[in-house]
Amino acid sequence: MQKYILVRLFNIVATLFVISTLTFFLMKQLPGSPFDEEKLAALPDEVRTQIYDQYGLNAPVWHQYVNYLGNLLKGDMGLSFYYQDRPVSNIIVDRIGPSALLGIQALIIGTAVGLILGLIAAFKHNSMWDYITMLIAVLGISIPNFVFAALLQYFVGLKWGVLPIAYWESYQSTILPTIALAIGVVAVVARFTRNEMLEVLGQDYIMTAKAKGLSSRNIIIHHAVRNAMIPVLTVLGPVVVSLITGSLVIEQVFSIPGIGSLFVESIKVNDYSMIMGVTLLFSVLFVFMVLIIDLLYGLIDPRIRLAGGKEG
Amino acid sequence: MSIEKVEINDESFQPVLSDPSDKEALSGKELVGWRNSWRRLKKNKGAFVSLFVLAFIVLLAIFGPHMNSYTYYQTDYSVSFQPPSSEHWLGTDKFGRDQWTRIWEGTRISLYIALLAAVLDLIIGVMFGAISGVFGGKVDLVLQRIIDILVGIPNLIVVILLILFMKPGIVTISVAMVITGWVNMARLVRSQIFKLKTQEYVMASQALGANVFRIIFKHFIPNSMSLILVNLMFTIPSAIFTEAFLSFIGLGLQEPLASLGVLINDGFHAMQSHYYLLIFPSIVIVALMVCFNLLADGLRDAVDPKMKD
Amino acid sequence: MKKGLVVSFLLIVCLVLSACNSFSSKDASSGSGTEGTSGGSKKSDDTLNLYFDNDIPDLNPIKTTDSISFSVLGNVMEGLYRLDENNKPVPAMAKSVKVSDDGLTYTFTLRDGIKWSNGEPVTAQDFVDGWLLGMNPQTSGSYRFILTDYIVNGEEYTNGKVKADKVGVEAPDDKTFIVHIKKPTPYFLGLTTFEKYYPVNKAFFEKNKDDFGQSPDKLLYNGPYVLTDFNPASGVTLKKNDQYWDKANVNIPNIDIKVIKEASTALNLYNGGQLDYVNLSSEDVNNYKDKPEFGTQTNFRSYYVQFNLGDSVLKNKSLRQALQLSYDPSTLEKVILNNGSKAASGLIPPGMEGVDGKSFRDLQGDVIKPDVAKAKDLWKEGIKELGKTPKLQLLVSDDTVEKDTATFLQSQWKKNLGIDVELVTKPYSGRLDTMRAGDYQMAISAWGADYNDPMTYMDLWVSPATPFRGSFSNKEYDQLIKDAKSQSDDTKRMNELLKTEQILLKDEAVLAPLYYQGQAYLQNPKVKGLVFHPWGNPWDYKYATMD
Repeated sequence: MQKYILVRLFNIVATLFVISTLTFFLMKQLPGSPFDEEKLAALPDEVRTQIYDQYGLNAPVWHQYVNYLGNLLKGDMGLSFYYQDRPVSNIIVDRIGPSALLGIQALIIGTAVGLILGLIAAFKHNSMWDYITMLIAVLGISIPNFVFAALLQYFVGLKWGVLPIAYWESYQSTILPTIALAIGVVAVVARFTRNEMLEVLGQDYIMTAKAKGLSSRNIIIHHAVRNAMIPVLTVLGPVVVSLITGSLVIEQVFSIPGIGSLFVESIKVNDYSMIMGVTLLFSVLFVFMVLIIDLLYGLIDPRIRLAGGKEG
Repeated sequence: MSIEKVEINDESFQPVLSDPSDKEALSGKELVGWRNSWRRLKKNKGAFVSLFVLAFIVLLAIFGPHMNSYTYYQTDYSVSFQPPSSEHWLGTDKFGRDQWTRIWEGTRISLYIALLAAVLDLIIGVMFGAISGVFGGKVDLVLQRIIDILVGIPNLIVVILLILFMKPGIVTISVAMVITGWVNMARLVRSQIFKLKTQEYVMASQALGANVFRIIFKHFIPNSMSLILVNLMFTIPSAIFTEAFLSFIGLGLQEPLASLGVLINDGFHAMQSHYYLLIFPSIVIVALMVCFNLLADGLRDAVDPKMKD
Repeated sequence: MKKGLVVSFLLIVCLVLSACNSFSSKDASSGSGTEGTSGGSKKSDDTLNLYFDNDIPDLNPIKTTDSISFSVLGNVMEGLYRLDENNKPVPAMAKSVKVSDDGLTYTFTLRDGIKWSNGEPVTAQDFVDGWLLGMNPQTSGSYRFILTDYIVNGEEYTNGKVKADKVGVEAPDDKTFIVHIKKPTPYFLGLTTFEKYYPVNKAFFEKNKDDFGQSPDKLLYNGPYVLTDFNPASGVTLKKNDQYWDKANVNIPNIDIKVIKEASTALNLYNGGQLDYVNLSSEDVNNYKDKPEFGTQTNFRSYYVQFNLGDSVLKNKSLRQALQLSYDPSTLEKVILNNGSKAASGLIPPGMEGVDGKSFRDLQGDVIKPDVAKAKDLWKEGIKELGKTPKLQLLVSDDTVEKDTATFLQSQWKKNLGIDVELVTKPYSGRLDTMRAGDYQMAISAWGADYNDPMTYMDLWVSPATPFRGSFSNKEYDQLIKDAKSQSDDTKRMNELLKTEQILLKDEAVLAPLYYQGQAYLQNPKVKGLVFHPWGNPWDYKYATMD
């Protein structure tokens, strides 16, 4: 197993290298430059070339890439073009707090509520409860979350005046965005839990456990839930990463200075160093999440062997 | 499975592999299984009703746009932002276009997108995941790293580059969705196969000399079917909204065509003053999804050999 | 193995928690109480609550290129002149100016008692330093053309051909600042109100070179307000500057400006009493337009369709004219935009300076008036000349308003000319690239004025022809612009500029005018004197009052 983890860690480094290389070269193919706004687009080519030179953007792309990698190894992610001359790492550190807090809250609440709904639905299969749970899940996935966010803001924030309409000023201001984010998580967790529980409850070993006289609570916790967790974990992994790295629309609706907008905005304005910074952050989180999930498979079900199909 | 359904006859007592070419005889029973499934599906009220509602929506998508005298692109600037009325059943948008007609036109497109997403998910996602899970080891390591890389590179960059090189339209949307749309399915199927691989009947099948693809199609995929169906229920709406986003940035359909996703996005901007622009397309999409879900549940219950009824 | 996993998991949890902790402690120290944050209770009486609809990327006056940054800087710093409530330049840091007879030398005398926020006096040398830094390729950004286009030897200094002492700015003493410009420029005093013409305290700049303008303590202020808090993603707070020379006329003690990108959020906050001003999106205008708080304003920004004369189809003038005459901008104004923007009949926005107190638009009148019958004839004629019915595409950026405009044009052309025009949507920078490459037939484009004079528009279409400007090149046009640039008689100069607009739109049909940008807004009735300049540094809070 140790060997497997070592191999995986080596793989992670290689994967990150490939991702950053590809992203760098693809990004340079994007139309325009960091200075592409109306005024500068109109400037004569000589003037624009001069400005590119100032930022070293006229050098061959591979040259720029080697420079970038060199600086990265020294821990320097470069300066943002859009947020003129601010270090990318500072901006990311400043902005990740709100996004991560919202993401983690939404994850905890969403998972808890989703699990409970999913379990109820499975045990009361084809009952009213089951249908209600499914309806919630369907609403959660087929209505975009910015619609929920706007509705919460309008009713809870403006009409009832119980919670702040927007801004990031106190703990109260995290509640509405958390709920808006959690709805999607509830839908995913409830749906998969229900499905897996139905599956697991039909398995022979649950029957056996029942036959052996184990209490239903024990059965659920030790056998059923444990096994139902594998798919839930699998889908939740990427969700966790995207929750932590923020949601563009939710942060926009609630006017939160999070990291969500950086992903899209930096690409729109060709802020090269920022694109790289955010991509690296996302990929690092993602590959480690994938590793953790793979290792958790083994913990949940010790029979699962990832290292190789044959010796299993 | 209740006792009375098991048919016991002489065939049951034949040696299983008396003749290697006889392998197919085992699957002969499958027909009975499928017929059984259809019977069970019919018994599931929710699934059966949604089958009809779904058919109804499809009919509306086909005939709805012809049920009044308007076309989806016909503008009339004297009647912009009209609430629902006998003239315009679901109101009009900013350009004075009839929402009823536009919603059903949009439903056509979104249904197509849903179908496309489902097919891609099933073909690429399931196969990728299955191969990764079954072979495990090095194959798994490599295939999973491919997924990591696909997820790691910001999608928007790839999509913008596609805009530069391809003409906007359905084909381009399809290409954009092929890139990462199937990743979750692949990871799920893989995890499921890891779990199934340890089951005795799989080992038995291996011991009996079944080849890998036979095991995938005979055991792994049928036993992952419920998971696959549930995941499809997530793929479809997210594909519908991905399409809306792609259309907005110029990769998808261009005005005056609109899909449900585009209508909902537009309706969102007007929701404070013109709620009907958001509500009606949302109702259609929710109705579609509820039906898909009930049907998928029904199918799941019907297909799953372990389910009791 | 299990232990290792648990440990690594705990490690991640700790990391995340510490990130959150640092954020919440920072949040608590910012002083907003946790009680009673709901509703509008946070609002205090001496604070004006406003917002920007995008990030405030940076506040380095030498480098920035962003109009939101211009707005902030315009309130915390000040140039030789400042725009008053009616957008006329009035003396600010300068007390008076003497212009030489040939219009090429400006001698400014600085006001007494002008100070930086650290107490040091603002001197003529600060202007020399500020302008030189603004032209220095090492320190300045891409907006430096607004200086180098006018100041003698500006471009040469940027290109490293001359030393700083050859540039046309000098400070013979602390109170006298002399500028030499290249050509007579009737709008030069207006330019000195712009943020790029601000003074810079060089000693302070040298000390804070790396993070100049990145936080409130990394900038010196000489305007009506000082910056007290600055976060690019959440906003700025301003406090009245008690070192400001005209502080007696600054009324509002505190201004809190948030970043709110979602229009509906801003509207909710306004309705909840937490904002004193909000822009309305076109969808919401009809619900509010009869309220007393409703108003509209315009800025100097014109939208038009740029035809590409280098295209094999649109090189035909009849076809261009047919397209130009076959839609009605007033429908666009009333139904599609419905946000205070005005239907355009020319290129130069209304209110832009003409001559003798008359605006350019008033002097010129309508250049293009929709005429469907004529358009149909022209279309037929054009097709005959071309020999086939062409396929047409309209290039547009992925912006809601631009896309709506494109959809409108598409429907009007379909109705009036019976043609199907295909829309090609690209991301903003994609549209620019496509236009630069000349790979388009027509595109929706816009230009915002850099200064209050028609030249800011007309100068764009002079030779050499570029695909970005439709590959248009016309000798008569070039000659008129050249004459206007050296003309010292203002009436003659204006007549030349009036003629260029006629050539561009009517004679050659290079552009099809769409609208002059405006915005519809709601404003707290208690707040008065909130000024929005149509060009330069847009928002000006100096004149605002609150009951």
